[in-house]
Amino acid sequence: MSKWFLVPVACLALALGLAACGSEDDDNGGGGQSAQTNTSDTAGSKAPVKIALSVPAADHGWLAAVSKDARAIAEDLEGVELTVNDSATDSAGQADQIETMINDKPDALVVLPNEGDALTPVAQKATAAGIPVINVDREFSTPGAFRTWIGGDNYGIGWQAGNYFADELKCKGNVVEIQGLAGISVTELRTQGFADAIKRRCQDGIKIVAKQPGDFNPDKGLSVMENILQGEKQIDGVYTHDDDMAEGVIAAIENANREDEMFLTGAGGSKAIMSRIEEGGLVRATFLYNPTMAASAVKLAALIARDEGMQDLTEPEVPSRIQVPATTVTKDNVKDHEALAY
Amino acid sequence: MKLSAANRIRLQEYALVGVVVVLLIVGAILEPDSFLTSDNMLNVLRQSSVVGVLAIGMTFVIATSGIDLSVGSMVAAAGIAGGLLVDSGSLAFMLGALAMGVALGGVNASAIAYGKVVPFIATLAMFAMARGLALWMSDKTPISLFQAEGVRWFGNGEVIGIPSSVIVFVAVAAIAWVLLNRTRYGRHVVAVGGNREAARIAGVKVQRIIFSVYVLSGICVGIAAILLCGRLSSASPVAGNLYELDAIAAVVIGGSTLAGGRATIVGTFLGVLTFALIFNLLTLMNLAVEVQLVTKGLIILAAVLVQRKES
Repeated sequence: MSKWFLVPVACLALALGLAACGSEDDDNGGGGQSAQTNTSDTAGSKAPVKIALSVPAADHGWLAAVSKDARAIAEDLEGVELTVNDSATDSAGQADQIETMINDKPDALVVLPNEGDALTPVAQKATAAGIPVINVDREFSTPGAFRTWIGGDNYGIGWQAGNYFADELKCKGNVVEIQGLAGISVTELRTQGFADAIKRRCQDGIKIVAKQPGDFNPDKGLSVMENILQGEKQIDGVYTHDDDMAEGVIAAIENANREDEMFLTGAGGSKAIMSRIEEGGLVRATFLYNPTMAASAVKLAALIARDEGMQDLTEPEVPSRIQVPATTVTKDNVKDHEALAY
Repeated sequence: MKLSAANRIRLQEYALVGVVVVLLIVGAILEPDSFLTSDNMLNVLRQSSVVGVLAIGMTFVIATSGIDLSVGSMVAAAGIAGGLLVDSGSLAFMLGALAMGVALGGVNASAIAYGKVVPFIATLAMFAMARGLALWMSDKTPISLFQAEGVRWFGNGEVIGIPSSVIVFVAVAAIAWVLLNRTRYGRHVVAVGGNREAARIAGVKVQRIIFSVYVLSGICVGIAAILLCGRLSSASPVAGNLYELDAIAAVVIGGSTLAGGRATIVGTFLGVLTFALIFNLLTLMNLAVEVQLVTKGLIILAAVLVQRKES
């Protein structure tokens, strides 16, 4: 009995030991801690402002980059004290965290909601309490819930991609589409924009021979693409809805040694995909959905809290909507965008 | 007519062979060009390998009337643990992945066998912890294994035309079959699930057996992580999401019962194959996702109902 008693201890020690290998910078770890504060110098001329940021827990690279970028920008901003909450895994948990943040009376609240609809009531509550809300990406269901919205262009990703495929394939060929998670607006818009652009440019010249969800997940992307490769003997292009997921799709194509037959595009703008674009070969383009929008939101929050406008615009206040473009990144301009890749 | 447990298992295995054959025939009719080719059949086997290895481990756990809800998350953690060591080579990756699998499986095993925590709860806790660990260790970003030729061999290598991951899967299944059906250990595992008190009175070291099956599941996690990372050429902290459900479903339609005391490796193997064939066929037919999900559910239900009737 006594020697068996040691086993759990040994196992735990081993597990923790392995865990320690990866946790060199605890700041970005996010694991257990729910709130962190970055304080920069409050000297200088700017009035000190308190900004609170709420982001759902990262389940993939894009969301991880969102809170990382926002934290980094707050370090550089004069007089900005940023509190970050990024541990909620569902909408209810995030609503609870935001209520706690409201009680802390920040000068502005930046929220990337887990689901826009579900978090609208708590955003309205913040607005009613006199705290301006900056809505990032997933939109609240009523304009009364926020002061400013900044987000990406999902339809634009599909639209830009459709035009890129029309150009590259000269309106002729077989295309495979690996979608995101079925049933959410991101996926629907990226699908719709692509279909609309291809139809408008090429009528029926480009055929979408297979269209299947990969759930934004590299392993699902891999299996789905493996099956499609079995069924489709001639594929000219592959449009994927996400850079991380695209890694799995790429693995499937490379494992089948068919990388010379087709090209592939991503969406988002990850470091890995951008370096593949630069190398040339299978991966030709990605369409930006830049996580830096959260960093911009923190800057907007500081302006709004101080009642200032945007320097290069005429109006004395911040606009109520800002959309970040789904810029097409290819070998030609990848150098300009690498610095902001996640 | 009353059937003995062994006979019932055999009948269920035959019933599942029938399901697989029907799927093959239907597929050959619906997709004559691409479905029933040797290339596609090897592809189906290769896709079965990751969940297959997990399901083999799960069979032992379920045989003791336990459950392991954490295998999907543990695959991600094991892959990342290996990924962090990959600069030291492919062997370091494999040892890291296996060590992580065994360590986390060991935590489950200790909590369940000696801490008396219900398996459902203990592994549900690990389901969350292992995923968190994977995200934490990786700083939420995937690790590229492009340079690790040895690991990638498990994804795209082959021996005399058979994919290496398929060979690993079949080897794991064969070893598990011998272990379960031809050793004293296997008899004890089934005895513990069938009637724990009787097993204890008969002299079976119940705690040790329960401990061992979760460690076994952890070893399978390590192997599955190596196969998955090899196939993806990268270790991803979000990989393996909900693989436990696929593994459990495969074990159950294979004929092992969740109540324990009845376990079949051949059934599990066929169960995994059934799911892979369904997924493959529905994707080849390019059906919309909603149709796929409904079809998959109906086929599971039909397969289990058919087995019930025949037994």
